[in-house]
Amino acid sequence: MAKYTIKRLLQSFVTVLIVVTIVFLLLRLLPTDYYFTEDQLMKFTDQQKHDALEAAGLLDSPGKQLIRFYGQLLHFDFGQSRRIQNGVAVTKVIGSKFAVSMRLGMISLGIALVVGVTMGIIQARFKDKIPDHIGTAYTIFVNAVPGLVSYSLVLIFGSRVLGLPSMYSTRRVAESSILPIVCLAMTSIAFYALWTRRYMVDEINKDYIKLARVKGMSTKSIMVKHVLRNAFVPLAQYLPASLLLTISGSLLVEKFFSVPGMGPLLTDAIGRYDTNVVQTLVILYASLGIIGVFLGDVLMMLIDPRIKLVDDGGTR
Amino acid sequence: MRKSVSKLVAVAAAAALVLSGCGGGGSNTTSTTAAGGDTTTEASAENGGAAENVTPAGDPITDLVTWETTNREIETFNILYSQLATDLQVLTNLTDGLLSADAHGNLIPALAEEWGSEDGGITWTFKLREGVKWVDVNGNEKADCNAQDFITGLEWILNYHKNDSANTSMPIELIKGAGDYYEYTKSLSAEEAQSMDNSKFLEMVGLSAPDDYTLVYTCVSEKPYFDTVTLYNCLYPAPKALIDELGVDGFKAMNNENMWYNGCYTMTSYIQGNEKVMTKNPMYWDQDCTLFDTVTVKMVESKDVLYNLYQSGEIDNVDLTESNLTTINNNPNNEYYNQLVERRPTKYSYQIHFVYAKNNEDGSADTNWNTAVKNTAFRQSWYYGLDLETFYARTNAINPLKCENNAYTMKGLVTMSDGTEYVSYVENLLGLKAYDGETMRRLDATKAQELKAQAMEELSAQGVTFPIAVDYYIQAGNQTAIDTATVLKQAISNTLGDDYVTLNIKTYVSSLAKEVREPRLASFYINGWGADYGDPQNYLGQETYGEDNAYYSVNYSLANELTEADGEIYEIYNKFTEMVNAANAINDDLDARYKAYAEAEAYMLQNALVVPCYYDIQWQLTRVNDYTKSNAMYGIQNTKYKNWETSVDAYTTEQYDAIAAAFEASAN
Amino acid sequence: MEEKKQKNYDELFSFAEYSPEEAERSGYSDYSYWKAVFQSFLKKKTAVALSVIFLGLVIFSFVALAIGKYDYSSLIADTKLAFIQPNGEYWFGTDNLGRDYWCQVWFAAQTSIKLALIVALGECALGVTIGCIWGYVRSLDRFFTELYNLINNVPMIIYMTLIALLIGQSFLIMAISLIAFNWLTMARNVRNLVMMYRDREYNLASRCLGTSVGRILVKNIFPYLISVIILRLALSIPGTITLESTLSYLGLGLGIDTPSLGVLLRNARSYFLDYPYLLIFPAVIVSVITVTFYLIGNAFSDAADPRNHV
Repeated sequence: MAKYTIKRLLQSFVTVLIVVTIVFLLLRLLPTDYYFTEDQLMKFTDQQKHDALEAAGLLDSPGKQLIRFYGQLLHFDFGQSRRIQNGVAVTKVIGSKFAVSMRLGMISLGIALVVGVTMGIIQARFKDKIPDHIGTAYTIFVNAVPGLVSYSLVLIFGSRVLGLPSMYSTRRVAESSILPIVCLAMTSIAFYALWTRRYMVDEINKDYIKLARVKGMSTKSIMVKHVLRNAFVPLAQYLPASLLLTISGSLLVEKFFSVPGMGPLLTDAIGRYDTNVVQTLVILYASLGIIGVFLGDVLMMLIDPRIKLVDDGGTR
Repeated sequence: MRKSVSKLVAVAAAAALVLSGCGGGGSNTTSTTAAGGDTTTEASAENGGAAENVTPAGDPITDLVTWETTNREIETFNILYSQLATDLQVLTNLTDGLLSADAHGNLIPALAEEWGSEDGGITWTFKLREGVKWVDVNGNEKADCNAQDFITGLEWILNYHKNDSANTSMPIELIKGAGDYYEYTKSLSAEEAQSMDNSKFLEMVGLSAPDDYTLVYTCVSEKPYFDTVTLYNCLYPAPKALIDELGVDGFKAMNNENMWYNGCYTMTSYIQGNEKVMTKNPMYWDQDCTLFDTVTVKMVESKDVLYNLYQSGEIDNVDLTESNLTTINNNPNNEYYNQLVERRPTKYSYQIHFVYAKNNEDGSADTNWNTAVKNTAFRQSWYYGLDLETFYARTNAINPLKCENNAYTMKGLVTMSDGTEYVSYVENLLGLKAYDGETMRRLDATKAQELKAQAMEELSAQGVTFPIAVDYYIQAGNQTAIDTATVLKQAISNTLGDDYVTLNIKTYVSSLAKEVREPRLASFYINGWGADYGDPQNYLGQETYGEDNAYYSVNYSLANELTEADGEIYEIYNKFTEMVNAANAINDDLDARYKAYAEAEAYMLQNALVVPCYYDIQWQLTRVNDYTKSNAMYGIQNTKYKNWETSVDAYTTEQYDAIAAAFEASAN
Repeated sequence: MEEKKQKNYDELFSFAEYSPEEAERSGYSDYSYWKAVFQSFLKKKTAVALSVIFLGLVIFSFVALAIGKYDYSSLIADTKLAFIQPNGEYWFGTDNLGRDYWCQVWFAAQTSIKLALIVALGECALGVTIGCIWGYVRSLDRFFTELYNLINNVPMIIYMTLIALLIGQSFLIMAISLIAFNWLTMARNVRNLVMMYRDREYNLASRCLGTSVGRILVKNIFPYLISVIILRLALSIPGTITLESTLSYLGLGLGIDTPSLGVLLRNARSYFLDYPYLLIFPAVIVSVITVTFYLIGNAFSDAADPRNHV
């Protein structure tokens, strides 16, 4: 197992490296003018532009820049932001933001798991009856209405009818987090309910469940001991990745409620062509994504001992 | 040059008439790309000065809460480095410069108590205020602010390895030796340049401090408007001790917690993308001014959520979106019906800039358009024929015609000694009818028809095919801009005719400069220019022919590429350029100077080299009296939350009208 | 060793000549997979009704444009007519520029449905093909897994920005780029299933009988994939519509000449408090599309499961 883990982590490391190299080179596809703001382009002479680029080492060939970039990575130096916060280390920019996203993300994920899985169980238990239809209707509604619209509805309803603050505020964290969390959880609840139901319904039709019924086990204990446990296995695979990636925040929700988190950072950085920030975020997200999948496999194995990650030479 | 100041002019409100008049200051030459009503309004601050005799509506607000959209978040705290209006509108509250401006745009003292020039604008002497302190974020005294700090500030800007060329253009253009010092530091290694003290700088550059409270600037030639440049951050001070403490990199990347302040507020809380809180600076030099205890700037995703925030009392002013305004204005029973008030115009003068060397998307020259636009009758038919009222309604649905712009220079930039405002003088030269709220002042349908017929005849002979395709670019995903462009298209179709020209609306993804200007794809741009300093040269100088620093001729209209072979248009441009240069040579008599500029401007507009487009005047609900904010047409200081008159009860339309009337009266 | 083993096999077994007729004869029944799928699908009344509704919607979007009083291509902006509530002249009212909303909504509906269907079919074709190869050919597993990781871990927004900047924005570009990302999920699902069924006994038997790889994939494995594919397809359609509206919001959407439901919804956000009809009409159409596809997908996926056929 240890050997397998190390091998997989090494593989992941290579993948991350390739990913960030690709992004690095993609970003250099664009003309160097993109490093400047419209204002700067207006005021700078060509010579000044040249000077500024040269000072930042951006006129070297992409290959040379890439090697320098690898060198910095060896020292865990991710460079400085150019436009998000001029001159400030990228790690510091991210450091000031990720906790907020993570806190909101974790809470909403927790709520989504509890509510969503319960909803899925109830739906599966009362398949084709009223609770199932209600649940399906909810799932469909959430999927059908684009986030832009449903978040607006939550915002308006929350602030006008319930009187909740419509903007995130560090002075009233608890209160002002409610609406963003509701928005975040809304979609995840639908996701977990949908798939819990799907997997449980699949499982209920299996022969061993029929046997258990014949044996006279109560529906409740069949549901909890057998169906849920087995149905949860495929869901478990997604859990660690979702948990880790709460750090990346949600673009729309954070924008809507002015949450000072990671959500809009990537698009902002791309929009402002802040290459160091983009690269660092890509490294971060790719690493977390890959680690998440790995942890998902491990978790799946823990829940279902039949699943083996390491080929122990037995069956094929 | 050292011994200065025999006749320094103490400046009260009356100073407007003295010296370079209420000339400009070096504001950031910001030209804003306009897509009609979608200009991002500067959140809401302009700085006050003149107290008005209108009764306030209610008790003043002690803690102001205002807003800004998140895409306009600040990028740096280093005021010397920043060139973005979005940064400077915040930073101007944290650091003060030599001078400031009042609500009428007149220069008033700030850190300099007295200033003047005796030799027509070559050497300028500033007498500094004593007892001004640098403080930290908590308002604790750190050091005195004196002449050395201004020297350190300018050294920092001109030092290539310290400020990465930012904000260098104006000092290099104006101050003796500045360009040489910049080049000199560029020749040094980064370590050498960053460790330099001020001795070499003082030796090379035309700036000196005879004592700790006197500054003497020497210009390259007569610059009668040099004092207006002090409103711009390129002449701002920087505390030497702080640079020593933080190091060069640390000073570049300083934040609200480790920087020093000498302005009216310190920023006690900064949460990127969420909110900024500024708290009154207890050691602020101007103890008599009106400041808020705190100013909170909330960052919102879009203006769509603002109205909701205003209704719940979370913010003190709101710009109304199209649908808000329509709803309120159509329903007299609406609770805000009586509170609709008009903003003052932003400091940008928007123009339709024709492109004289347009390309097709495949890179070949668009001869059809290029030939047409060089024809004077063709351009004039736009000037006299294009009715923009519906287009103005996108910015200002209630009084669209108030947005009509008929000059190139921004209204209020400079005033002559007899009180005549420069732009109204230009309008007189153009012989425009008075504002009647019915139709645009410059429209002349008959004349436009004749010009159109003439242009069609002349151009057909030159092989131009009709209708002429006109390409106009806006940013993809910006629905407001798309809607405005659609209205413009309709206006062109209605008033110029589909048989004549057709507008094609096209989009770019993120950068107008890179995606449209470089490949020269647009037939015209609608752009706003805000002044760098208080002189018409800053406007007209951008359009002259054959000069490298004529910004629009080089980058937008590409008029610099016209040749003698182009005939009439070439001659017009040359004549216009001569007129501008002649005006620029008049340094001893400001009135004569302005009149000469006005002649040049009128000549340019009559030949429709550019067509004036609009002023940005929007509607709002507010608890702030905009007529008490500082309002210079140049400089970075209009957003200073100082001497603002406010009222806990929102102003009503009636009150605002009275305030505006009293304000206009006091101007003359 | 190897050689010896080979010899043994040769002695013990010999290849049966493959003869299509023989094979058909031994395996004959009047069971046809697709017939069974449709039969069982047709039994679900609601699903059939919904399919009819969807078809009706598509047809109606054409009819609606034809019977509307205004033609989309010749709409005139006139702010005096802005924000008129739905009435006899303007069946869906007018938008902020006084343009007829009816023809905009139906035109946008066509665009969105077209885009969603093209993307769904495209991702399905590409995803299933690659997924099958990925799952079946072991030696390519590493390659595809890496490819998947690479594409999947670079944030899509980076690709979309670069595509918009370097290539441009149009319906075709949008469709192709969405397909280029969406096939990943489909391929991964298919791959997992193919791996599950690849080594089942009946496939071993089939292989031993000399059935070609293609035939095994198409005839033996594919039926098991259908239900999953259909479900993914059904989810991909609302997914595309939502994604398109988010991309439009970021300025990376379709060109301005091609309004989509996503764009209308995005715009309605600014107005819906004062003029709710601007939100309701496009939202209802999006919901109808989503709901029908979701339910049809579920029904069809049940019908497509061969285990339910006996």
